[in-house]
Amino acid sequence: MSAPGAVRVFAEYDRDLVDEADVVVVGSGPCGAVVAKELAEAGRDVVLLEEGPPFTPEDFVLDGALSMARTMREAGLRATRGHVMPTMQAIALGGGSLVNSAICVRPPAFVFEQWATRFELSHTSRAELDPHFDAVEGFLGIAPTPDEVQGRRNLLFREGCAKLGIESEPIARNVRGCRGSGECFTGCRARAKQSMDLSYVPAGIRAGARVYTSVRAEQVLAAGRRATGVRGRVVAPFSGRPGPAFEIRAKAVVLSAGCMATPLLLLASGLANGSGQVGRNLQFHPGVAVMGVFPERVDPQFGATQGMQSLQFLPEGFKLETLWAPPAVLAVRLPGAGLALKERLAEIPHASIVDAIASCHRSLGTVRPRRRGSLEPVLHWRLHPDDLPVLGRALGVIVDVLFAAGARKVLPGVHGIPDELGPGDTALLRSRRFRPTDFVMAANHAFCTTRMHGDPRHGVVDEWGRCHGLDNLYVADTGVFPRCTSVNPMLTGMALAHRTAQALAERV
Amino acid sequence: MRSLGYVADVQVGAALSGMVAVLLVALGWRVLGGYPRPATPLARLSRREATFVAAAAEALFPRGGAVPPSGLDAGVPAWADRWLDALPAATRFLVRCLFALVEHATLLFPARGWDGWRRFSALDPERRGAVLEGWRTSRWFLRRLVFTSLRAIVTQGYFADAAVLRALGLAPFAIEAPVTAADALYPPIGRPRSAIRFSADAVTVHGPLDRPPAGAPLVPGSPLHPAYRESPP
Repeated sequence: MSAPGAVRVFAEYDRDLVDEADVVVVGSGPCGAVVAKELAEAGRDVVLLEEGPPFTPEDFVLDGALSMARTMREAGLRATRGHVMPTMQAIALGGGSLVNSAICVRPPAFVFEQWATRFELSHTSRAELDPHFDAVEGFLGIAPTPDEVQGRRNLLFREGCAKLGIESEPIARNVRGCRGSGECFTGCRARAKQSMDLSYVPAGIRAGARVYTSVRAEQVLAAGRRATGVRGRVVAPFSGRPGPAFEIRAKAVVLSAGCMATPLLLLASGLANGSGQVGRNLQFHPGVAVMGVFPERVDPQFGATQGMQSLQFLPEGFKLETLWAPPAVLAVRLPGAGLALKERLAEIPHASIVDAIASCHRSLGTVRPRRRGSLEPVLHWRLHPDDLPVLGRALGVIVDVLFAAGARKVLPGVHGIPDELGPGDTALLRSRRFRPTDFVMAANHAFCTTRMHGDPRHGVVDEWGRCHGLDNLYVADTGVFPRCTSVNPMLTGMALAHRTAQALAERV
Repeated sequence: MRSLGYVADVQVGAALSGMVAVLLVALGWRVLGGYPRPATPLARLSRREATFVAAAAEALFPRGGAVPPSGLDAGVPAWADRWLDALPAATRFLVRCLFALVEHATLLFPARGWDGWRRFSALDPERRGAVLEGWRTSRWFLRRLVFTSLRAIVTQGYFADAAVLRALGLAPFAIEAPVTAADALYPPIGRPRSAIRFSADAVTVHGPLDRPPAGAPLVPGSPLHPAYRESPP
């Protein structure tokens, strides 16, 4: 057992471990970290479990692929079946917040209105959630990206939008002291990104929470309608080699393992699946990106990783964002091979990249265990034919914005379309009937696999995250979303987690 | 007549067996034989895989052109070895299957010329490029997916080379960070807490609001990260 306010790391486990707490939280990503900190500050005895290790600046690797191998499950090479699309899940203290681009957006009111109507949620309006958004934003100091660190790449997007009369805005991020290094995806060396390991977890520790890293929860223990704790094993960082066993007994259990892991934990434990909805309804925000090449040097490595966005097209089903990533990852999208590919690599310093994330709320999938009882997920997902035109339309708008900003050519990266398009070629994009396999898509926003629903027959949790049919088992991650948010989901997940923590504090 | 037929059957059977044996030997040679030993010992790549990765790196990133280093200059096979070593076993197996598939798929999708069915790494660089272009532009999604996956691996290895990043002006910069509360809580991975470098007294940033929204922005000409300088310290 650890003292209050302590962190245990892999090197410190030499025997089986048993501990007790008021609340045990599984997963230290944005949602779990919020729950742990809020409950600890409310005076509850909290244990926070995390399968990954804490990363210090000297643990960050600038090589994009090796960084992903260290910070992501399946080395960052996870993909859906059905329609093949890469998707990632972090394994680190702080979860995805360590390696995301820190985007914090409140969904528009219409998203919550649709949730309320279709999923019988009478307390989940934007107005009811605004105090929770305020609390998270206030703690993290979330603010729009200042012009000083936008860099030319982001500002070109603003210029292109302005010329076309499209609304754009600086992205609000959980970042303080950003220097525009563009390294959000490999870990912020400037310690400017307020990922959970730097913000909520230390605050929770100050309030007395105990943090066990490198421990994998394998089963939720229960007796009748009550969860009684969590059992699992210590695992070595990176290799996953199993070590001693552990068991944490608690008055309440909160699962925040992410929407690809929480459902498997519930299925492995035989809990909370009276509706049959655990692991179903998997949704993503598939993303497509286009690179524009400009006559002048853009130096795209300078500036916030994702500094500008346009929310104008949300009602149509997509959102535009600027984008930067490790050069090796961006180069993967460039067409060609040999000397022609090298010509294109040499154009990266003249490039600006814009992506669109699409709602695709008709496109559904599942998370299932690789084999019975396994915690390794198999993801099936198919792009619904009615969601295809949204991606095509988004591509068309991106290309328009890039040309309006002065691009001399764009590289759309779509099969069946020429590798490069000039300003006069955009009709090709608009006239084409796309197939799902034409796009090079990726999706790192995933949700809905333990969805909330007012009716226990159709959902896994209620509006406060409590599992239907159980007194003290909660879910706090993006799995509880009943449908996609249409915008980057981290802030919404944290606001809902904040509400769950408040509700739980009154019960424990 | 029956004995003559029996003899004929035996002869046909022997001939068929011989042909199968020859085919198996040829196939075995194709899959296993004639691969050179790597110049430096590798942890995960077999000599066959190392040869294949080198051939793919040379085809995708030949010497010269807009970015001088070739895939071989950039040390892509050695990088691929390090990367494979960092992968989980199941993922590593899939990557190995990918290498073997492209290496031997010339049996199904041969290169130009009478010997176009030779394994990928045995083709000359120009025909290797043509084979990869066939995968890239295929109307079959799975072939395009295979190409994209292979090129992603090789490209990431190419960009891991400091000289390539310097040539493109994309090398990372040196960044000094303040001491945050987290820096006094966590040791480097694999080390005990006694390895934590900072005490609580050294912390200068205690929470998110301790810093202004923007720091001094990095600009072209800022000092490079030590590992990416032309002459690393």
